[in-house]
Amino acid sequence: MALLARVAERIYWGARYVERAEDTARIIRSYGDLLVDLPARIATGWEPLLALTGNHHDDLGGELDIVHYLIADAENPGSIRSTVGRARENLRTTREVVPREGWYTLNSLGQYVDSESERAVARRMRDRFLGRVIDESRRLDGVLESTMTRSDPFRMWRLGRLIERSDMTTRVVGVRAASLLQLQQRGVASGEQYHEVQWMGALRSVSALQMYQRAVRGPIEGPSVVRFLLFHTQFPRSVRACLDEIRMLLGALPEPEQVLARLDTVQQVLASCDLVTDDGVALDAAMDRVQGAIADLGSAVQRRYLSIDASAAQRAVQAMSS
Amino acid sequence: MDELLEPDGTPRAVAAELMALVKSIGVDELAERQRVAEVDILTMGITFTVYSDGANIDRAWPFDIVPRIIAGSEWETIEAGLVQRLTALNAFIDDLYNDQRVIADGVLPREVLDGSDNFRPQCRGFHPPLGIWAHICGSDLVRDDDGRMYVLEDNLRIPSGVSYVLENRAVAKRAFAEVFARQSIRPVDGYTDELNRVLSSLVATPQPTIAVLTPGVFNSAYFEHSFLAQRMGAELVEGQDLIVRDDEVFMHTIDGLERVDVIYRRVDDLYLDPEVFNADSAIGVPGLMRAWRAGNVAIANAPGSGVADDKVVYAWVPELIDYYLGEQPLIDNVPTLRCMYRDERAEVLDNLRDLVVKPANESGGYGIVIGNRATDAELEATRNAIEADPRNWVAQPILSLSTVPTMVDGRLEPRHVDLRPFILTGAQSYVTPGGLTRVALAKGSLVVNSSQGGGSKDTWILDPLPGGHAAPEAS
Repeated sequence: MALLARVAERIYWGARYVERAEDTARIIRSYGDLLVDLPARIATGWEPLLALTGNHHDDLGGELDIVHYLIADAENPGSIRSTVGRARENLRTTREVVPREGWYTLNSLGQYVDSESERAVARRMRDRFLGRVIDESRRLDGVLESTMTRSDPFRMWRLGRLIERSDMTTRVVGVRAASLLQLQQRGVASGEQYHEVQWMGALRSVSALQMYQRAVRGPIEGPSVVRFLLFHTQFPRSVRACLDEIRMLLGALPEPEQVLARLDTVQQVLASCDLVTDDGVALDAAMDRVQGAIADLGSAVQRRYLSIDASAAQRAVQAMSS
Repeated sequence: MDELLEPDGTPRAVAAELMALVKSIGVDELAERQRVAEVDILTMGITFTVYSDGANIDRAWPFDIVPRIIAGSEWETIEAGLVQRLTALNAFIDDLYNDQRVIADGVLPREVLDGSDNFRPQCRGFHPPLGIWAHICGSDLVRDDDGRMYVLEDNLRIPSGVSYVLENRAVAKRAFAEVFARQSIRPVDGYTDELNRVLSSLVATPQPTIAVLTPGVFNSAYFEHSFLAQRMGAELVEGQDLIVRDDEVFMHTIDGLERVDVIYRRVDDLYLDPEVFNADSAIGVPGLMRAWRAGNVAIANAPGSGVADDKVVYAWVPELIDYYLGEQPLIDNVPTLRCMYRDERAEVLDNLRDLVVKPANESGGYGIVIGNRATDAELEATRNAIEADPRNWVAQPILSLSTVPTMVDGRLEPRHVDLRPFILTGAQSYVTPGGLTRVALAKGSLVVNSSQGGGSKDTWILDPLPGGHAAPEAS
């Protein structure tokens, strides 16, 4: 059954918004955990959270301001409140395609976020709130995974999830991992900086700690964390694994050639990062390039599948050849 | 009169089981179940959209937990009466757009047609598939103090509310699981399948592509459009998703253009096709009428069907049933005075206080003046409006409207109701068992429209259990 371009667009962006909300929640949570663990003399404050979540804002003071901006600020399009709200609106308007239980899940999350996000800024309530956002987002994926036919709407959902996720993982690598590597390169002793604790925090912010430990079996070591997050073929949040699944999905969508060409570029740029996994400054710059390539991939998806003009043009081509 | 209670307050036969439960659990538990039902409605995202303060707001659907119950034996007659009515109305519409025998034979005065806002000359000379124009109709029924049901009006344009019939049932089944288990209540879930069947029957293509055409997410009935598309496995499209090429309709998919065979449109006639109707319509599809007239797409309801839900035409429905079918109406009209006739108009103007006055072409309860509740100024304005345009007004006696016990501030109080069953007409006819019971939540009010503070109830058509209890009889 064919998928309307407009519906495809709503599903794709719905998936991206949900993924963004989940990832933002996880990053805020693990960052808060980490700061609590670190002694005050080395705690870096809350500002890096903004860069980590892809937000830019100069006028925010302390913890509560920044957390409010990221969780509850309706004016911030990247806040959990805004992204959940937009995801909910997107699923509300694609109910004919998305299984009802999926809509119920996101609808109740939306109601929860609307009523609780202001209260969740305070530390006492925050963890519970962020946990619920993460859980419901996963529940939604579980519902769709177990009830949705593997056809174009499902592929659009996965595509949105994976493009957003790969982008978020590069941010964790580009901000957290790169700055830790720089500290180590400057010869700051681990005892002073709690490197292991910080690397653990970085891994937790993409739910990767346990799987990393099983895969690596040994003490946590910076460059191997970076390689795990970028190149592991089987860990579902590694950039490589996301790109592999995107390739598979595109292979099943109609006429993906232009989009595949962009994906090739992302994979080439990613592969080139192999040389800089122990160099903080170079890694940071490399992640910017990967993010740029992922953004181009997103634009290609938008042009090829999500815009009505493009598909009309396509039809014109088909009509001429038939 | 009350639908569930005898005048002395004891339960009627149809309500015996329900009221026994209410008595055993107590009104506090009932209020608790009402609260749980409201949470269900929020979680399921059952909403309707109201336009207020310059913004469209999604509101939770208002639902009262106490159902309205009708005996199966009484429903048989109502069902047959509605099918009869729609058969006649469809014959009438087809006649109006073609030979106009009904006018030539002197049954309907030509001036009624001439004054109709909803007659579309663009549809003249066309016979839609099966000769059917109004495939989906919602007719409003009320029960007067005499215990009889009357048809108050027929909605043949884009009637809405059927999604809430199905959703109300889903909520009611949870709230009264034990009552459902013990009784034989006709299921309503088959509606969308029947609708699918009717829509599919309009074209020869096997497994046709069906699209529900919505004005968009801000429309008050968007929830329903989405619901129906979902339940039928149809596409939900907006005007921008469709394009007409060589008199065929296509939709924009990620795989190029795909042909559409049937459109269940929830867009008003005048916005359907800017080439033919309202030229600046942004929600329509240029060329849609050409495709329809070429027979390349079926549209339900057919453009122009609204000519039969004019409230003046309504007054002639009993004659139309006789004229087209040679039958007596099985359900009565409410007696209706037609202001276009001098003597009837005089009667209306002399008795404004005791009548309900209605404009011919409004829907949603707008423009209606209830004489005994109107101010002197409102009555004066109504009088002037009637005299300025008599063709556009009819008047009816103020019916009392039956009541059903309703949860109000944690207690049960009688509130007035009406009933909107949905009638499908295709190769076969189908009537929803029951329909949407709307309830006026304000004490004494007769205004049931959800856009004006009305609520809703589940409607049970109750059959005797096979070999079980004595059949509950109609009151």
